[in-house]
Amino acid sequence: MEFLAPTSWDEALAVKAEHPEAEVIAGGTDVMVDLNFDRRRPAMLVDLTRIADLATWQIDGSVLTIGAGVTYARIIDELSTLAPGLAIASRTVGSPQIRNRGTIGGNLGSASPAGDAHPPLLATKATVEVASARGSRSVPVEKFFTGAKRHVLAPDELIAAVTVPVAAGPQQFAKVGTRNAMVIAVTSFALALDPHAHAVGTGIGSAAPTPIRAEEAERVLAGELAAADQWEHRRPLDDHLVDHFARLSAEAAAPIDDVRGTAAYRRHALAVLARRTLSWAWSEYQRN
Amino acid sequence: MTAVDTPVVPWTGVVGRPLPRVEAAAKVTGAIAYADDLQLPGMLFCKLLRSPHPHARVVSVDTTAARAMRGVVAVLTGHDLPTKYGIMPTCEDEQALEHEKVRFVGDPVAAVAAVDEETALAACRAIQVEYQPLAAVESIEDALAPPDGEPLHDYAGPGNVHRLAALEFGDVEAGFARADHVREDVFFFEGNTHLPMEQHSATAQASDGQVTLWSSTQNPHYVHRALAKVLGLPMGSVRVVAAPLGGGFGGKCDPFSHEIAVCKLALVTGRPVKCTLTREEVFYTHRGRHPTLMWVRTGVDREGHILAMHFRSVLDGGAYGSYGPASMLYTGALQPTTYRIPAYRFEGARVFTSKAPCGPKRGHGTPQPRFALEVHLDKIAEELGIDPVTLRRRNYVEPFTRTVNWLRVTSCGLQQITDRVLDASGYARRRRRLGHGMGFAVSSYMCGAGLSIYWNTLPHSQCVVTAGRGGVTVFCGATDIGQGSDSMLATVAAEELGLQPGAIRLVTGDTGLTPVDLGSYSSRVTFMAGNAAREAAAKLRQLLVEAVAEAEGRSPEQVQVRDARIGSLGFEEAVALAEERFGTLATHGSYTPPAGIGGRYKGAGVGPSPAYSYSAAVVELDADPVTGEIDVHKVWLAHDIGRAINELAVRGQVEGGVCMGLGEALMEAQAYRHGLVKQPSMLDYKSLTFLEMPDVETILVETVDPEGPYGAKEVGQGPLLPVIPAVVSAVHDALGVWVDEVPVTPDKVLRALEARARGRDARYGPKSFPVVPYPPLVKVAPPDAAAPTL
Ligand SMILES: Cc1cc2nc3c(=O)[nH]c(=O)nc-3n(C[C@H](O)[C@H](O)[C@H](O)COP(=O)(O)OP(=O)(O)OC[C@H]3O[C@@H](n4cnc5c(N)ncnc54)[C@H](O)[C@@H]3O)c2cc1C
Repeated sequence: MEFLAPTSWDEALAVKAEHPEAEVIAGGTDVMVDLNFDRRRPAMLVDLTRIADLATWQIDGSVLTIGAGVTYARIIDELSTLAPGLAIASRTVGSPQIRNRGTIGGNLGSASPAGDAHPPLLATKATVEVASARGSRSVPVEKFFTGAKRHVLAPDELIAAVTVPVAAGPQQFAKVGTRNAMVIAVTSFALALDPHAHAVGTGIGSAAPTPIRAEEAERVLAGELAAADQWEHRRPLDDHLVDHFARLSAEAAAPIDDVRGTAAYRRHALAVLARRTLSWAWSEYQRN
Repeated sequence: MTAVDTPVVPWTGVVGRPLPRVEAAAKVTGAIAYADDLQLPGMLFCKLLRSPHPHARVVSVDTTAARAMRGVVAVLTGHDLPTKYGIMPTCEDEQALEHEKVRFVGDPVAAVAAVDEETALAACRAIQVEYQPLAAVESIEDALAPPDGEPLHDYAGPGNVHRLAALEFGDVEAGFARADHVREDVFFFEGNTHLPMEQHSATAQASDGQVTLWSSTQNPHYVHRALAKVLGLPMGSVRVVAAPLGGGFGGKCDPFSHEIAVCKLALVTGRPVKCTLTREEVFYTHRGRHPTLMWVRTGVDREGHILAMHFRSVLDGGAYGSYGPASMLYTGALQPTTYRIPAYRFEGARVFTSKAPCGPKRGHGTPQPRFALEVHLDKIAEELGIDPVTLRRRNYVEPFTRTVNWLRVTSCGLQQITDRVLDASGYARRRRRLGHGMGFAVSSYMCGAGLSIYWNTLPHSQCVVTAGRGGVTVFCGATDIGQGSDSMLATVAAEELGLQPGAIRLVTGDTGLTPVDLGSYSSRVTFMAGNAAREAAAKLRQLLVEAVAEAEGRSPEQVQVRDARIGSLGFEEAVALAEERFGTLATHGSYTPPAGIGGRYKGAGVGPSPAYSYSAAVVELDADPVTGEIDVHKVWLAHDIGRAINELAVRGQVEGGVCMGLGEALMEAQAYRHGLVKQPSMLDYKSLTFLEMPDVETILVETVDPEGPYGAKEVGQGPLLPVIPAVVSAVHDALGVWVDEVPVTPDKVLRALEARARGRDARYGPKSFPVVPYPPLVKVAPPDAAAPTL
């Protein structure tokens, strides 16, 4: 196996252009597991961890750009106000070791329906910045996932960064699993409220072939909040509305039975998570 | 020499003190060499080719291409190792490499020795095996049905039934007839596996027809026997050395294919050969907890006194016999060691399925019935409106009695551990609120099986202690599997000789150098090897004392042994003097359990023990009524240890047992889909992590057993047992529903809540117990209650 370690982004893109079949490795927390189980045997590994720029983040106005090589540990430490939903989700990833190694780019690269970064990215309508030697393009995160563990990247493309709007309101994330640490979500739910845009965003993990949004739930909640002028008044939410939101969120999912949980349990849990994240987020909004 | 008269006081220098383990520094610094750390010059690496089918006839195995590969030194198939073996003489149904048929995914069919693991693996892939698939047997129900085609084995039966038992002690029907209240319940305990940190590893070296095996095994003696048999060598030509173990928990108790294969490959190639299993292979090697379906019926009077009990079990044994007949009998043996059951009927069965073989795991065959029994008693208490602790206390066995199935009970701290665990936890004062609960349960476990696994006249443990210019050395077959057996031996010898444990050199678990100890299973080591070591060291002490007394001109009773001094002499001087006086200083000790501790009926071999430990647990948890998630806050565990030889080591075992018990109660499952283990990795097989591990408050109660070394009893297995039913009981306390199936996962909790919401029985669990072809009852007269018991 050949091991390449480019030190600049252009070099990495050139390598990928020349060897589109080469496997990229960032934190390696997914790649090394696959190598260990002999699920894949790439002829070439391209290590991205020597590219300093890839592990940085910047703010440009109200847009936060997070380099693909930024780890969960740094998201937790540095971005908990700018991207609170993503930071909460990052705290639930694996163990300290995994959070120190694992990156947001790697999570997207694996495109697992259970990837914990995905629901908050969906809820905040993030954009995935993709590049190749041929040029760059921006892909809305919703369009990024094409199937279970599949995404839109062409063989010569790399993920450069994700951009998200700097949080304008409360964001929440919750997941259920068989235990608290080192667990792949049985199901997860992210919620982002944007009082300026009067918008509601959601993201669901582990309950369909790809991470998805609960669009109908978003639409109904945003509509009701606007109709009752709730963004202004911040009154307690009507129980029926919360239940309705929870039900629509669960209905958006297409869960299956697998080793981690049954479809029925997932659907049930999803409604619970939607209800809980909405109550947490709304109380936070009422307090501020 | 002037004799100074100092009063002789008993030396309690080391027994009872919380000393660090003798191998602690080596383990913490990484200096200790586990089996896989062994490197020998010219060593080859072995990989096993395993069956991808759950059940298939092996039509042909073509190794031509593999043999022709560069770097491949030897290839074996079942034809090279045709002798069948198995840990129990009644079911020697295994072959190191199967050449006629395979019975589970993972069953080995060929072994390759090559210059490195990659080459060995590539050679395994180049072996062409033609299989003719047969019908898989995936569950207890499948196994009880008439076989679809041929059964897994051509012995035992009917069909895929492996073993059956039916015993009755006392008049059970009369007991039920007298009862004011009779209750029946059905329970299921899912299988789970040991999950030791260390994967199995074995290395063999051969020369001049002699072979030495270093292996991560708990039982070098039994491996020694199996190797001699399968390799066709005299026992004297085979030496088995147990390497320090990174955990066993029962998973390293059987002789294994990889151990036999490396020996044969070393004999064939003349080079050392190593085989280390991958984590996935460990899941297929298994020998873990039997999935067990249970039915129990109990008759009580109005006060909750048990009048009769009928207990049925069916164990899913997987593909081979292993310890199965014992595992099955254990599901019926120990119920009467905690509760007085005047009339008791047990019907047990073990079936073969085409899954990885089950075997002994911490608590061997008793966690399943303990879970069923304790939860069943909780339900009876609830129906009678009696506090569950009070109901239990009314039925506790008394110390120094005999159970209805003839087990001799000596020291028994049930009442004390109950008092202490209730006090510490505040169980009786707990405040009831939805979603929060506490549960209580008790259990008992053996301090070593009363009988060996195969019939023989050997003492169960033997020890030699030598002293000379090289210091004191203890030679004993006992094997440290991480439970602290080495520290125990060193502490016992040190105590007798007035030394510190660190001053004792140990040679253990080596069939070429040490006298036989039967192995590290059934919590037998402290009781049996401890007594053997104590006897040997006391004899040595006697020689030292005599020599010093003679030299000092006073009686031996006046010679004080303590602080590395024998009388007025330093220990080394005393040894030199005694050597001069008696010649080479080597003493021996042995231990055999006393006769008459069990009954004389068929099946009576399982259950008797020279003593029983007792444990009581209280578990406090939150159970989410909406998601079904369970968060355990704290576990209080009171344990009747007899006497703690090393308190620190005892506490470590209690905490480890609690951790494993919680894992089994809440999440661990070795489950299958179409013959494949569903979770064959440490990421997917869920056990507790630091985050889920709650606080454990350990309370030790010392009842000082009359026969244990210094009064000691076991702690390696017992404390796991009450944790599982206490969790189930706490979930009921929190939510008002019963989960009669372990592990108690969130979806089961929710389904029980849903059942209640729909007006059905507020429980989740098996609905019925299958029809099992139990044999006619063997009626055994219970011991005469009036006769003296000891
Ligand atoms: C013990 C353990 C626990 C875990 N727990 C969780 C958990 O709780 N939640 C969770 O979501 N995940 C979990 N994971 C999975 C994993 O840690 C995450 O998916 C992580 O984000 C992967 O990041 P990485 O940098 O390690 O990726 P790598 O393993 O290096 O790469 C993953 C994939 O992404 C590709 N890739 C990486 N960077 C780029 C790039 N810049 N452009 C294009 N493709 C790229 C790689 O080629 C590969 O296909 C766990 C893994 C382990 C081993």
